[in-house]
Amino acid sequence: MANLKDIQRQIKSVSNTQKTTRAMKLVSTAKLRRAEELARRSRLYAAKMNQVIAEIAGRIKCNKVGGIDNRCFTEIETPKTVDVVFVTADKGLCGGFNIQTIKTVKKLLAEYKEKNIKVRLRGVGKKGVEFFKYNEVELFDSVIDLSSKPDKEKADKFIEASIEDFKDGKIDGLQIVYNGFKNMMTQELHVLKLLPVDTEQFDCNEEQKSILEIEAEDDEKMLDSLVNRYVQYAMYYALIDSVAAEHSARMQAMDTATNNAKDMVKILNVKFNKARQAAITTELIEIISGVESMK
Amino acid sequence: MSKLKLEILTPNGEIYNGEALSVTLPGEEGEFGVLSEHSSLTTLLDAGVIDIEKNDKSIESILINWGVVHVDEEKIVVLVEGAVAIRGETQSDISKALENAKELIESIKDNNPAIATVSAKLESAAQNLI
Repeated sequence: MANLKDIQRQIKSVSNTQKTTRAMKLVSTAKLRRAEELARRSRLYAAKMNQVIAEIAGRIKCNKVGGIDNRCFTEIETPKTVDVVFVTADKGLCGGFNIQTIKTVKKLLAEYKEKNIKVRLRGVGKKGVEFFKYNEVELFDSVIDLSSKPDKEKADKFIEASIEDFKDGKIDGLQIVYNGFKNMMTQELHVLKLLPVDTEQFDCNEEQKSILEIEAEDDEKMLDSLVNRYVQYAMYYALIDSVAAEHSARMQAMDTATNNAKDMVKILNVKFNKARQAAITTELIEIISGVESMK
Repeated sequence: MSKLKLEILTPNGEIYNGEALSVTLPGEEGEFGVLSEHSSLTTLLDAGVIDIEKNDKSIESILINWGVVHVDEEKIVVLVEGAVAIRGETQSDISKALENAKELIESIKDNNPAIATVSAKLESAAQNLI
């Protein structure tokens, strides 16, 4: 039978853990509310932006707009180098949130390797960056404090490098992998092809309602600037969506941890009572047998 | 005259969603007006003021720093990066909106020739309100 003192110590430590996890859950709940509100407000804008870009891309693909030859809108048949940007959290203790993203990135890396395409991995968030460093996977570059505090300017700067390289022809694609917020209970993994703009879903045979006219005289300049904003915003949106998802994942993980701790305290209490009872019984037997022997 | 549907969206949410008689937008190549059943067009917007003529013929002004407009037969969608609506019930509300608007203009750092006209427009819009 385990020592009474030991069990007592264990109970104390588990209930202390429970206190911590409960506090973390409360903190995450509060932070989630703020992060979700931010993501929710941006969702509409992001959706419309995607719609506008998709429509332009579709029309260019279907040759409705003559004379435009923009690299961002042309499918590249044999890509050589591709940028993959992943977004993970800076902190752990949020269940499978980070590992899900990492797994997807690993799968992507394997896929590209099979096709003989070089991948430049660009990481956002301490957890993912540390993982790939530890596993000796080369990272092209990384930022650490961006995913916990999304900042439009920093995000713009970070993604700008990829956009420039794409336009210069140094890379042939840009993908972004992140874990986004779906609802309070679930996160949804997103793998987005940002550049060149994905035109696969667009069906050229479909009857078009209207003809696109691009007003600015300098079409190229307009498209360039539009694509810049589109990619920058997609990056920023990925960051804020990821923060919301991180908090929801942490909230859940901490809730489970609190419940587990509660169960454990219950089990340990039963164990403690049993041990105490056993000690009392042994003592009684000792006294009784002592009295018996004196008779 | 039929009405057009107008949506103005910023990264922080919707700033205008409703019907209007006409809308004047600060395009990169110059100001242009849109009435209902305008042909499709997509273009960039420069820093400037969007004037919306509402159903009761009153005009609402919204200051923007950058945007893209997408017009089709059904509706107009304006995506802007930063926007301040110059409106308010009381004088203090209006002056607060004006202050925000001025801040937004300040934030447009580059030497944009449009800014001077924007400031002038802003003042006149405010005058109309007061």
